[in-house]
Amino acid sequence: MTAPQGIQALVDQEVVALARSGSEAAYRELLRRYERPIFSLIFRMVRDRELSEDLSQETFVKALNALDSYRPEFKFSSWIFKIANNTAIDHLRRRELNTLSLEGSPHAATPEAIEATALQIGARQETPLDTVEAKELGGQIEAAIGALRPEYRACILLRHVEGRPYEEIAEILDLPLGTVKTYIHRARNELRESLGHLRE
Amino acid sequence: MTGPRQHLTPDEIDSLLAGEPTPSQFEHLTDCAECTLLLGQHRAVVSTLEALPHFDAGDEFADQVMFQVAVPDPFAMRSMATARRRLLETGRSRAFAASVAVALVGMMTASIIWTSLNRELVSSAGSWLGGEATQWFWVALRGAFANVTEQPWFDAARSAIGAPMRLAAVSACVMLLYVVGLMALRRLMAIPSEGAAHAGA
Repeated sequence: MTAPQGIQALVDQEVVALARSGSEAAYRELLRRYERPIFSLIFRMVRDRELSEDLSQETFVKALNALDSYRPEFKFSSWIFKIANNTAIDHLRRRELNTLSLEGSPHAATPEAIEATALQIGARQETPLDTVEAKELGGQIEAAIGALRPEYRACILLRHVEGRPYEEIAEILDLPLGTVKTYIHRARNELRESLGHLRE
Repeated sequence: MTGPRQHLTPDEIDSLLAGEPTPSQFEHLTDCAECTLLLGQHRAVVSTLEALPHFDAGDEFADQVMFQVAVPDPFAMRSMATARRRLLETGRSRAFAASVAVALVGMMTASIIWTSLNRELVSSAGSWLGGEATQWFWVALRGAFANVTEQPWFDAARSAIGAPMRLAAVSACVMLLYVVGLMALRRLMAIPSEGAAHAGA
């Protein structure tokens, strides 16, 4: 469904007001505007296409069902990126808790328990989908982004891929402005070092 | 006499990535190969990041999201808005709305206060009402039973299910009718399987 021409010319706050008054076209316009940026951010955060689709869907469903709680004096982009980032970070934290150590659980007391809780390297076969994902995120830069700490990753993606100003990033990530600047600088330094061999 | 300028700080690198250098920064960059190289590398990282594409979430993404979103009903919202507008339109209507609200809140408050002050009376009234209701229930039940037993068909029906085999046969027939009725109802209420929007979501 294509959004009417008039809606496309409106600013986010006006589209949100239309959506609140019951216009499905306005909801679809918000989706059209933010679908790719939100999906890309989450995909680069979690590096799994299927999971990114689920988390992006969760983000939009949360945001669009809670439009009444959105305050128009703030940027809509900050609000929805904040929800997306929280959704991705929550998932990464949960995954970290559920991840077993390569050497086995630190709580395992006996050698058998250690062996039972250790990850089996090579047990997982690469599927055709994995190959597509590897191709999509396969560039050296994508690999370098993937190796960053999640907080650095979110900062650098919002700054240099989404082009958000520092103040907005601080608002999205609930971090002090100075911390955001430090994270971005450190992330850029890490990327510079990771990609150094490409320039040589 | 001023000493040699310090190397560029992270903040200065950030501002240089966004804009032109100040005269002092320009002078430093002309002299300092290390800072020029560092700035060049940061610029290369930024331009690589800025060139990264956005990914597509898939053709059905928007439909799948919209399937889970509750879009407000414009008719209900318009009705609410009209009612609110009318209620707040004139001073008289506002006064009326306010007096109704005050009366409602006042009655509820008075009711709560009265109930808390007369707990025994409320509980004795509750017991009396409960007793009366039970008595009326049994009277109604006895009346209905007497009414049924006085019907001309009652004796015939009683003798028809008097024998255990006949009782079993009648019960089986009733059960069969019940099951057939249930199946018919389920068929009538089934959701159509074809042409339903977002069925795959």
